[in-house]
Amino acid sequence: MTDATAGTGMDMGLASCHTCTLLVEADRQRCPRCGTTVHLRETDSLQRTLALLITATLLYIPANLFPIMYTDQLGRTEASTILGGVTLLIKLGSAPIAAVIFIASVCVPLGKLIALYYLVWTVGRHSPLEPRQRTAMYRITELIGKWSMVDVFVVAILVALVNLGGLLVIRPGIAALSFAGVVIVTMVAAETFDSRLIWDEAINANEHSSA
Amino acid sequence: MNTAQPEVREGRSLNPVWFIPVLALALGAYMVVHTWLTEGPEITIAFDTAEGLEAGKTKIKYRNVEVGLITEVELTDDYQGVLARAKMDIATKPLLREDTRFWVVTARIGLGAVSGLDTLLSGAYIQLEPGNAKKAGADEFVALPRPPLTPEHAPGLRLRLLSQNSPSVTTGDPVLYKGYRVGRVESADFDVEEERMRYQIFIDAPFHELVDSAVRFWNASGVSVIADAEGVKLRTSSLDTVLLGGIAFGRPPDVPEGQPVEAGSEFQLYDTYEETLEDPFRHGAYVVVRFNQSIKGLLPGAPVEYRGIRMGRVERILIRELIAERTDTLERYGSIGSEGQPVPVLLYIEPGRFTLPDTPESVDLMRRIFASGVPSGLRASMETGNLLTGAKYIGFDYYPEEAGKAEMGEWQGYPVIPVIGSGVEQIMVKINAILEQVSSAPIEQTIANTNAAVQQLERALESLDAILRTDATKALPAELEATMAEMRKTMQGLSPDSELYQNLNASMRQLNRTMANLEDLTSTLSDKPNAAVFGSKLPPDPQPEASRQ
Repeated sequence: MTDATAGTGMDMGLASCHTCTLLVEADRQRCPRCGTTVHLRETDSLQRTLALLITATLLYIPANLFPIMYTDQLGRTEASTILGGVTLLIKLGSAPIAAVIFIASVCVPLGKLIALYYLVWTVGRHSPLEPRQRTAMYRITELIGKWSMVDVFVVAILVALVNLGGLLVIRPGIAALSFAGVVIVTMVAAETFDSRLIWDEAINANEHSSA
Repeated sequence: MNTAQPEVREGRSLNPVWFIPVLALALGAYMVVHTWLTEGPEITIAFDTAEGLEAGKTKIKYRNVEVGLITEVELTDDYQGVLARAKMDIATKPLLREDTRFWVVTARIGLGAVSGLDTLLSGAYIQLEPGNAKKAGADEFVALPRPPLTPEHAPGLRLRLLSQNSPSVTTGDPVLYKGYRVGRVESADFDVEEERMRYQIFIDAPFHELVDSAVRFWNASGVSVIADAEGVKLRTSSLDTVLLGGIAFGRPPDVPEGQPVEAGSEFQLYDTYEETLEDPFRHGAYVVVRFNQSIKGLLPGAPVEYRGIRMGRVERILIRELIAERTDTLERYGSIGSEGQPVPVLLYIEPGRFTLPDTPESVDLMRRIFASGVPSGLRASMETGNLLTGAKYIGFDYYPEEAGKAEMGEWQGYPVIPVIGSGVEQIMVKINAILEQVSSAPIEQTIANTNAAVQQLERALESLDAILRTDATKALPAELEATMAEMRKTMQGLSPDSELYQNLNASMRQLNRTMANLEDLTSTLSDKPNAAVFGSKLPPDPQPEASRQ
C-alpha cells in the first residue's frame, strides 16, 4: 500500500487536466494544452453527487408509486406499476422474468443509490471497507447503471409499437418519466463522484500514521 | 515564462447543483399538494349483488363522462348485500346529493329495446344521476336494482296504479292513450300485505295533460272472455299489445273532466275496458246483505239493481270475515250454534248511478234513504240474471207486505239490508205455503161429513125403494097406460078427418075474410078519417089509356 501511495501527483504538485488528462503543475490555473481550468480534485464533487443522489431518491418515489404504463383495451384502462407488474408476473408463473424485472428495475437503482450514498458518506471518514473494495464498488455501480434503463426502454418500445386505435393502446405513465430520471440522475451522480477522494483518505491516514 | 499565481478560492459552501434536488422536491411537493387538493370525495354505494362491479376498474359515469372509480367491493357486515367504495372526482361534489341515484348499466335485452351494448366490451359501469335535494355532499347511497326507465327530471307525470289482480303488465310496457304510446310502466311489484299489484307508470310530457282525476286506467293486454249476467263477451286489443302487454287510459264517456292530478297520485287499474265503464263513480257506500240460501252464481262484480236500474256491484263475499267471526264464537262459547249462518255479501252502492252528484254527501243521503226504506219494506233479493250461465245479481225492491218486519242491521261494521227470497225462491215459498195450508186443512172432518152425507143418501134411497115396491106403485104404469089411451082417443077427435076439425077450419077461413075487410076499412079511414060519417067518395081509379096514335 505504501508503495502505491508513495508518490502521488498531488504530493509532487502535479494535477491531471480533467479534459485531456495532461499532467500540469498544480499551481497553474489552466491546462496549457486545452485551456481547461485545472483542479487537483473535481470541484464540489461530494456536494454535486449528494445533490443528484437526493434528486434521484426523490424521483424514485413516484417511479414506484405511480403507474408506469396504461393499457387501454377496448375502452377499459388498466394501469400497471413496476411492482404491480412484478407481482402479476409471479402470479402468472413467470418467476424468471419477474426476477429479471425486479432486479433491473428495483434492485439495481436502489443498490446504486445506496452504494453511492455509502461512498459519499465514507469519504474522509473511517470505513470498514478498504479503499480498493470501495473503488470496485464504484466501478460496478458505474458499469451497471446504464442497464437499469431496461424498463424505460420496454415502455418506450411498447408505446411505439402497440397503438391499435380503440382496440389496444399503451400509454406511458408518470412513473416512466420518473424512472428515466432516476437512472439518468444516478448515472450523472456516479460520474460526478471523484473516485480519487476514496484514496485521499487512505493517504491521509498513512501520513498520519507515519507522522 | 509568466507564471500566474494560482487563484486560491475558498470552495463555495453551496454548489448550484443543489438547484436540481430542490426542483425535484418542489415538483414532488406540487404533485402531492395537487393530488391532495383535487382529491374527490369517497362514497359508498350499496348494491344487492356485485354483478359487473370490479374494484379499480368499474367506472362511475354521468352523461358518459367518467366521474369516479370503484376502488373496493366488499360484502356488508351482515352478508346481505355488497358495499362498493368509490373515489369520485372533485368536480362531482355538487352532484352527490341525498337523492342522487346510482345503478349498474349492463347490456339489457327486452322486448321493447336493447340497451347498453357498449358495456359488452368495456364492462359494466355505474350510472350516476344527480338528485334534486338541496344538501350536497352525501356519501352513502343505495343503488337502484335496475335502471330507471325514465330520467328523474324528465318532464311528465309519474303515477301509481293499484290492481287487485295481477294482469300481464310488466316493467317497460307501454302506456297507451287511444292506442298511441304516451308513457311506460316503470315498475310492477306485488304488495304482499295488501295482496295487490302496485305499478308505477310515467307519462311523458305533453301527454300528462291528458290525465285528470276522471280518467281511468285499464289493462290493455291479453284477450278477455267475460261471461256475466249480461251474456258472453270476447274482447282483444291490437296484436302487439296482446303480446307485449300495456296499460291504456281514457275518460269514460259521459264523465265530466276531473281535477288536475299531482305526481304520485294513485289510480285503480281495471282489468278490462268494460270495468271502467261500469265504475265511473268515485264515491259509494258499502252495505251487506246476508243470504240464507246458496249464493252459487253470484260473482264479485255482479250488478246490484233497484227495479232493474243499476245502482252498484257486488264487491265480494265476506266469507273470510264470516269464518273469522264463527271461529271467534266457537272459541268464546265452545259452539257455533246449530243453525247455519247466512252468507254475508258485500255490496258497493254508488249514488252517482242514480244521477245524484258523485259526492260524499250523496252517499250520506243514500244511507238515509236505506235507513228509512227498510222499515217500509225495502228488501234485497238474489235474482238469476242469465239462465244460460247461471249468473246472479242482487235486486232491491219494496215489498209492502214486509213493511215493519225488519230493521237495518249491522254486521262487522257494515250496515245490513234485510233480504227476501229471490223470484224462484219466492215461488217455492208460496208453493210451500199452499202445501202447508193444504196439509193443515181439516180433511178428515170433511171426509167424515161426506161419509155421513153418503150414509143419509143411502138411507133416502132405501126408503124410496120401499115406496116403489108397494102395490099402488106397481099399478101406476097400467093406470098411466089407460090414461094415455084415453088421451089418444081425444086427440083422434081433433084429427083432420074429424068433424070438429072441418068446422074449426071453416071458422078460421071466415075469420080471415073478416080480417081482410077490416083492413080495407082501416086503410080507408086512415086516408079519409071522416068516411065513417060521410061515406067514402074515393076518386075513381085511374084507367090506363090507349095510345093516341
